[in-house]
Amino acid sequence: MKINFALAAAAAFGLSAPAFAETEITWWHAMGGALGETVNQIAADFNASQDDYTITPIFKGTYEETLTAGIAAFRAGEQPNIMQVFDAGAATVIGAKGATVAVEDLMKDNGVEFDINDYIAGVRYFFADNDGKMIGMPFNSSTPIMYFNEDALAKAGVEAPATWEEFASVTAPALKEAGYVPLSQSHLPWIFTENFFSRHDIQFANNNNGYDAPATEIKVNHPAIKAHFQALVDWKDAGLFEWYGTGWGDNAAPFENGEVAMWLGSSGSFGGLLKKVDFPFSAAKLPYWEAVTTEPKQTFIGGAALFAMAGKSAEENKATAEFFRFLTSENTQYFWHQQTGYVPITEAAYDVAKKDGHYDRFPAAEVGIEQLSLEAGEFTKGYRMGFYVQIRDVMNREYGRILTGETDVDTAFEAIEAEANKLLARFAKTQG
Amino acid sequence: MTDTLTAQSAATHVRHRKIKWNTVFDHLVLIAGSLMMIVPLVLVFLTASLPDTEIIKEGLQFKLGDQLGPNFQKAMFESSGFTNENTGMVMLKNSMILGVGFAVGKIVLGMMAAYALVYFRLKFATFAFWIIFTTLLLPLEVRILPSYEVIQGLGLMNTYTGLIVPLIASATATFFFRQFFRSVPEELVEAARIDGAGPVKFFVDILVPLSQTMIAAMFIIMFVFGWNQYLWPTMITTDEGMFTLVRGIKQIVQDFEGSNIPEYGRANLLAIIAVLPPVAIVVFFQSWFVKGLTESDK
Amino acid sequence: MKRAGFAVTWLPMLLLLPQLSIIAVFFYWPAAHAVHSSFFLQDPFGFGSTFVGLDNYTDLLGNAQYMKVAGFTVVFTLLVTFFSLAIALLLAVKADTVLRGAKTYRTLLMWVYAVAPPVAGVIGILMFDQSHGPLTEFFNSLGWEFKLGVNYNDTAFAMVVVSVWKQIPVNFIFLLSGLQSIPKSVREAALIDNRSASGRFWDVTFPLLAPTGFFLLIMNITYSLFDTFGVIDTVVKGEPGNNPMSLVYKVYVDGFRGNDLGGSSAQSVVLMVLVLALTIFQFRLVERRIHYT
Repeated sequence: MKINFALAAAAAFGLSAPAFAETEITWWHAMGGALGETVNQIAADFNASQDDYTITPIFKGTYEETLTAGIAAFRAGEQPNIMQVFDAGAATVIGAKGATVAVEDLMKDNGVEFDINDYIAGVRYFFADNDGKMIGMPFNSSTPIMYFNEDALAKAGVEAPATWEEFASVTAPALKEAGYVPLSQSHLPWIFTENFFSRHDIQFANNNNGYDAPATEIKVNHPAIKAHFQALVDWKDAGLFEWYGTGWGDNAAPFENGEVAMWLGSSGSFGGLLKKVDFPFSAAKLPYWEAVTTEPKQTFIGGAALFAMAGKSAEENKATAEFFRFLTSENTQYFWHQQTGYVPITEAAYDVAKKDGHYDRFPAAEVGIEQLSLEAGEFTKGYRMGFYVQIRDVMNREYGRILTGETDVDTAFEAIEAEANKLLARFAKTQG
Repeated sequence: MTDTLTAQSAATHVRHRKIKWNTVFDHLVLIAGSLMMIVPLVLVFLTASLPDTEIIKEGLQFKLGDQLGPNFQKAMFESSGFTNENTGMVMLKNSMILGVGFAVGKIVLGMMAAYALVYFRLKFATFAFWIIFTTLLLPLEVRILPSYEVIQGLGLMNTYTGLIVPLIASATATFFFRQFFRSVPEELVEAARIDGAGPVKFFVDILVPLSQTMIAAMFIIMFVFGWNQYLWPTMITTDEGMFTLVRGIKQIVQDFEGSNIPEYGRANLLAIIAVLPPVAIVVFFQSWFVKGLTESDK
Repeated sequence: MKRAGFAVTWLPMLLLLPQLSIIAVFFYWPAAHAVHSSFFLQDPFGFGSTFVGLDNYTDLLGNAQYMKVAGFTVVFTLLVTFFSLAIALLLAVKADTVLRGAKTYRTLLMWVYAVAPPVAGVIGILMFDQSHGPLTEFFNSLGWEFKLGVNYNDTAFAMVVVSVWKQIPVNFIFLLSGLQSIPKSVREAALIDNRSASGRFWDVTFPLLAPTGFFLLIMNITYSLFDTFGVIDTVVKGEPGNNPMSLVYKVYVDGFRGNDLGGSSAQSVVLMVLVLALTIFQFRLVERRIHYT
């Protein structure tokens, strides 16, 4: 608005325009509240760092609302230059060839150097196509880790468990004895399903998790994960685990106010925890079942990526590429990492953080990156399933029913498998 | 003697008390009802005076903190967006435009259509009636994606027209005015015709003044409805200068992965601010409102 | 149509034109679009689509979850309609009886009318919050372990309470004005004929309130079906999970969140048909029940 006015004024008074001839681009995102303010800060810094381009970030609601608004806008030819898409929407947006310009192409075409190996191992391929070409730029990257209340663990005389076996036999009973609810978690499909599969390197969907060809079969009905959910039910009955509903915050709150000793959340939750809790806390990697694997692998990145929408002029694409250059620069990444707790996406930024002593001050902030940098397995790249938002809804529903005793583990997983496969078949038809 | 007197006065006393108890009971019911309606709002208001961290730790509270001023300052004058255009004041203005524009648009269109349906011999009146009344019960949420495409196609994104007009495409006001016009005595039209008044004159000089209270009641209902919209404004405004209050509140409490403290104090205060103008209008027009409704269901 | 109408034809057409054109562009066109999409499975971006005939409909009707949502919607609608009308009626009758403070009560009881459904929902989750909601603490003290978002029935209870709370003022205002419009002469006559207050209420007042009540019934059904969207959305915190939801919310979840355009369009069409049937039924009844002068 203001810039348009300035342009008009410049034209009207015959002033020389170059100083105002900035290419304007827009960025639709789903970062509300204080996160949104950090986004705004980054955008403002970019605008201040040069005179050729102006970016305007716009908050569009939840991840789902942002995606839908972006799609509707694309259909009407009014798409933003950059759209933030969350992990569950990856298949939808990457599947729609022609909706986006691959980030890798965009950067290279506009003379911005790009090497996928500059990125941290765990974030490289989640938003990439089956040839390993990066399509979406990982932005707010996080992975599930285990936070723990240091006071609680000290009181119980235990360490954070590395395996679920250790948790069940040593950690949890001691924590219960010490008067705590030992464990809660915040996102069953993300933490205890998707990342269960990557941590244990088990295939999650056919066709190489949907990378080689659209997935037509989900492999969720697997004995290992069923055993895990049965364990959750048993732990819950024994008072070793509690579930507070599908909402993220409902499960985090009891940890934050000291009732729950350990909480599985996002590495991106770190910044908020620092402000909210008044006990010393730290974090450890996501536990695994020794009975399933003795070589646990890296986890998936959650969070969201930025996609460059197709159908924009060359100048605007150039501006978008320049913004991505700015965004992936060491300093911006480190700023973002410090402010929010999301992991820095490049090795270089990680080094800056290390050298700056960030992890000496906050050891917990490093756990997510370490976990993402673990050895990769065959099925740790990511997964690509259509209508995945609805598949998550089905999981959430059935998991809720398991944990409230309305159904048993076998029936629930059969139901998830059947409904998810039906959704995959429906999605396949949308691509025809 | 004295004993009987005392007994008598005691009896009258008891009777008095009995009658009083009935009224007391009535008042108790009303007080309970009023408390049930008001206490949650008071709680939200009080909680808006506390620091955010305390709200997160303790939830709603029955005490007045010292953050009311700073939270009010933040809510009204500080931008929560990028362009510094969506301060509470701007959102208040947008909500006001949406509420008033929607109410006026609906009333004008509704009166015109209802007048046409009730006072004219039209062959396709029944058909038009059904066309209009089918829209009565199907909300925008159900057809929101195609509606969005229409607005995009017409280039009405981020305009007040795009915000208001699609919401008007439902017939509640037409329905109310139709009911009302049908209750207007027929003699009026006949008298008007004998006096030589045409349909336009009759409408402007007689029917509109007669509908005054009804218009007031409709205005309140429609204003509140428009003011309270959330999903549609979220869809079609991308320009922060166009955000409405209800959308702004949702933006503030949105919290991802618990990584930040939602500004509950600010959100609560905005919620209270969002309630005030409609309440003021309802209370201010109260008597008209009640009268208008009374006449509408004759 | 009035018997004594005007015979001009151009004017009514002109008067109807704005309303009809807005409805055509912003209601029928999108509705037709929804009907069309319901026969396809479509890529959200619009790159691909397959004609699937009635598959979207058969998928719905054969889906036990969809039926469960439909069942909940019916129960929810009945509960919200009944309780918001019953409580409002009680308050209206009392407010009509008392002489002192009637205006104050009326003003206090009207306030919540102005609260937006999403805001009502936010207030609801604060009141019913698992760790420190005042109502949760109250229920716990009664021995009821209330768990919003975990227990299906508890969540349904909270949704009903918030929706009723939000709706009481409207019903109250309408019913009170209905009561106050009953002529004094009728009341005095009833006072002579019928000694008991409750007898008077059920024999005289209640039937006279029937037209208002019937109109309110329709309004409340519509409200429970559609306008509670904002309440449900905030109470489940945008994550349906194992929580109860209404049919309209399901359209939103599958179409708006899940980008299943075909499936959600089919759901919209099912809703449209239901609503159309309901509308016809209601108008038949209204036109028959309420006599106009």
